[in-house]
Amino acid sequence: MAPARYCVPGERLCSLEEGTPGSGTYTHHGFIFASLAGCFMKKSENGMLPVVSVMRDVDSQLLPDVGATVTCKVCSINSRFAKVHILYVGSTPLKSPFRGTIRREDIRATEKDKVEVYKSFRPGDIVLAKVISLGDVQSNYLLTTAENELGVVVAHSEADVRMVPISWCEMQCPSTHAKELRKVARVQPEFLQT
Amino acid sequence: MAGLELLSEQGFRLDGRRAGELRQLRARMGVFAQADGSAYLEQGNTKALAVVYGPHELRGSRGKAPHAQALVNCQYSMATFSTAERKRRPHGDRASAEMSLHLKQTFEAALLTRLFPRSQIDIYVQILQADGGNYCAAVNAATLALLDAGIPMRDYVCACSAGFLEDTALADLNYVEEAAGGPQLALALLPQAQHIALLELNARLHQDHLPRVLDAATQACRHLHALLDRVVREHLRDAAALLGK
Repeated sequence: MAPARYCVPGERLCSLEEGTPGSGTYTHHGFIFASLAGCFMKKSENGMLPVVSVMRDVDSQLLPDVGATVTCKVCSINSRFAKVHILYVGSTPLKSPFRGTIRREDIRATEKDKVEVYKSFRPGDIVLAKVISLGDVQSNYLLTTAENELGVVVAHSEADVRMVPISWCEMQCPSTHAKELRKVARVQPEFLQT
Repeated sequence: MAGLELLSEQGFRLDGRRAGELRQLRARMGVFAQADGSAYLEQGNTKALAVVYGPHELRGSRGKAPHAQALVNCQYSMATFSTAERKRRPHGDRASAEMSLHLKQTFEAALLTRLFPRSQIDIYVQILQADGGNYCAAVNAATLALLDAGIPMRDYVCACSAGFLEDTALADLNYVEEAAGGPQLALALLPQAQHIALLELNARLHQDHLPRVLDAATQACRHLHALLDRVVREHLRDAAALLGK
C-alpha cells in the first residue's frame, strides 16, 4: 500500500468535478478542502464520483442528530415526561452523555391520551428511542418511542432481576414471576445475541 | 527611546533578531490524555498551554446559546507565576476577560460550528510564562489543540503581533518591545485563504504606515503557518507509527 497522504485543515484536496465531499471536508468556491488533520481517503463506487474524505485514527465526537436511533438510560420520571441520558448513537458510544426527554405523548403511537409514564418506563431502564428534535431554549433533546421497534429493551424488576418481555406492554420477572408494565421494544432478531 | 536601544543601527533588535524575524517556536500536540485535545507551545520565552473539550452538551445557561451552531467557550488565564510580578488572580480580571472574548471571536471565524448544533466546544488556554505576544501564543496553541481534538475547522489560525519603530515594522514583539509603548498590532490569519480572523491595533499609528505593519504581521503569520504545519504533520506521522500502520 502506498504511504498514506496526510492532510491538514485548509488544504485543498480536489475540485468538485473530481469528487464528492465526504466526512472531514468542506467545500468552498467549487473545491473540496480538508477540515481535519488526518489521512486522505478517496473511494470510488462503480463509476460514480469518488468520495473524498479525511479520516482520523480516533473517531471524533458524534452528536445525536434528528432521526437517529439512540440508546438511553432512564434517570427520572414524572407524570408528564421521562428524563433520560443518551449513551449511544446508533452503535457508537458517546464520550459524554447527553440529556434527553421523552414526553408522555411521544411514548407510543396509538391511544396517546391513555399513556401513563410510570406504566411505560422506570428509572434505570435501557430504552431505544429516536431523536425527533434538538429541543429549544428550555428543553434538551426530544425523543420518541412511538414505534414497535422502540421502547424498553432492558429492565430490572423490584427483585433486581433482569425481566423478560412477555407482550408489547408487559415484562415478567423470572424469579418472582411478578409482571410489570413497560413500553417494550420489539427488538429486531438480527440484533439479538444468542 | 531613552536608554534602551530597541533597534540597533545595524538593524538588530534587543534579542538579536532582525526586524522581520520570528522567535524560536517549539510545540507539542497531545500533551494531556484527559482532554479531547491539548497542545503546548513556546514562542521564544512565551509559553502557552491549551486544552480543548467537546463538542459536548451545552452547560450553563441555554439562553445565550446560538441555535443552529455550536457555542464556542474560551477561557484565557495567566499563571500567577507567569509575569515578573506575581499575579493575584489567574483569570477573571478585565484583561483576561477581554482576551477570552478575542479568542472566542477568532475561533468562531475558523471553526465549522454549524456541524454541531446545540453543543458546546470549550477552549482553555493558560499562559505559563508571559514574554509578549500572549494573544498570539494563545491562538497558536489553541489551534494545535483543536487539531488534536479533531474539531473541523476551515484552516489553521495563525496569529502574530507586529510593531512599528523608527520607521521599521517589527514582527513578533517580545515583552520589552511591547512595554516600550509603541503601536502594536495583533493579527490572526487563516493563512491559506488569507482571511483575517481578528485584527487589533492598540496605539495610534499613522495610516500610511499601516500597510507595512500589516504586511510584516501577515508575513510572520505565513512563516508561523509553515512551522505549525510541520509540527502537525510530524505529530500525525508519529501517531500513525505508534498505531503500527
